[in-house]
Amino acid sequence: MNTRPMQEATFLILTALAEGTQHGYGIINEVAEISGERVQLRAGTLYTALDRLRADRLIEVDREEIVDNRLRRYYRLTPEGGRRLAAEAARMQANATAALKRLNPALGVT
Amino acid sequence: MTDTTSTPAMSDLERGYRRLIACYPRSFRKDNEEEILTVLLATAGEGQRRPSLAESADLLRGAIRMRMGLSRTPRTVLHAVRLMYLGAVSAVAVLIIVILTAGHIRAAVQTAMAAYHNPAATAQVMHGVNIALAMDQVLAPVVIILWLFMAWTNGKGYDWARVAAISLFGFSSVGMLADVVQNTATYAPAAMIGAGVEWVIGLAAVVLILRKQSWPYYVRHPATR
Repeated sequence: MNTRPMQEATFLILTALAEGTQHGYGIINEVAEISGERVQLRAGTLYTALDRLRADRLIEVDREEIVDNRLRRYYRLTPEGGRRLAAEAARMQANATAALKRLNPALGVT
Repeated sequence: MTDTTSTPAMSDLERGYRRLIACYPRSFRKDNEEEILTVLLATAGEGQRRPSLAESADLLRGAIRMRMGLSRTPRTVLHAVRLMYLGAVSAVAVLIIVILTAGHIRAAVQTAMAAYHNPAATAQVMHGVNIALAMDQVLAPVVIILWLFMAWTNGKGYDWARVAAISLFGFSSVGMLADVVQNTATYAPAAMIGAGVEWVIGLAAVVLILRKQSWPYYVRHPATR
């Protein structure tokens, strides 16, 4: 079950939380920055993903704050979430390394 | 972040967002409505008066996923539920096989019994075979309904449904064992292969609902819900 590749949005959300806690809007901004503005998460997608990640115990609520009369809920990675993200990153890195290794001789790059 | 409270345009927008969020299940809304609204208002464009088409589509898609229970259900349970629906399909297939091959099964048993030159015993065995075939056909709809019921209730996360699924698998295993002991495969190979596939599907589903990732889902959905 756990070995299947992660969806990109999931990977980016977990990555956004890897450095520390973030609230929903913060995650959207972090994901945009990490992906070089390529991935702009929408609220519906974000909260469906957050709900699933909470159910799978990969993230959890860190704290809640009220800012300008609006609720801000901060999320953090669980230890299991950290492990899953590390495993996925290692898998992607191994694939990328293999691809570049095979491409480089073909492109005349050593 | 944009000011989210003061202008009339923003309150129209907020109403629009709330109408869309209303499509989500109540339990999800209770926990997340204010927070989603904060994010929606924060990401809204300057002077935006109503939810855009893309935002509406995104929220409706999320609501549908939630309503179908696709979000909170762990993947292990989701796969188990899909397997249970597949189990219902396999039970239909086994029923069709039994109906189509009933004549062959009777003929095979009759041929085997002919070697004993004992008409009374043959008649008795044939009577038993006819009863077994009739039972298979009568019970098949019950089995199909049980598969569907198990898929539905396990998908809902009822703990008793998991216990029931495991118990039913236990009963079906005993049935399979009895078929093997009685050498059913010799007379009804196609039906036995079908039943074997159905049993393996049941085994896989039971393994999945017993996996570590499935436990919190069942714990969170007590039987009294």
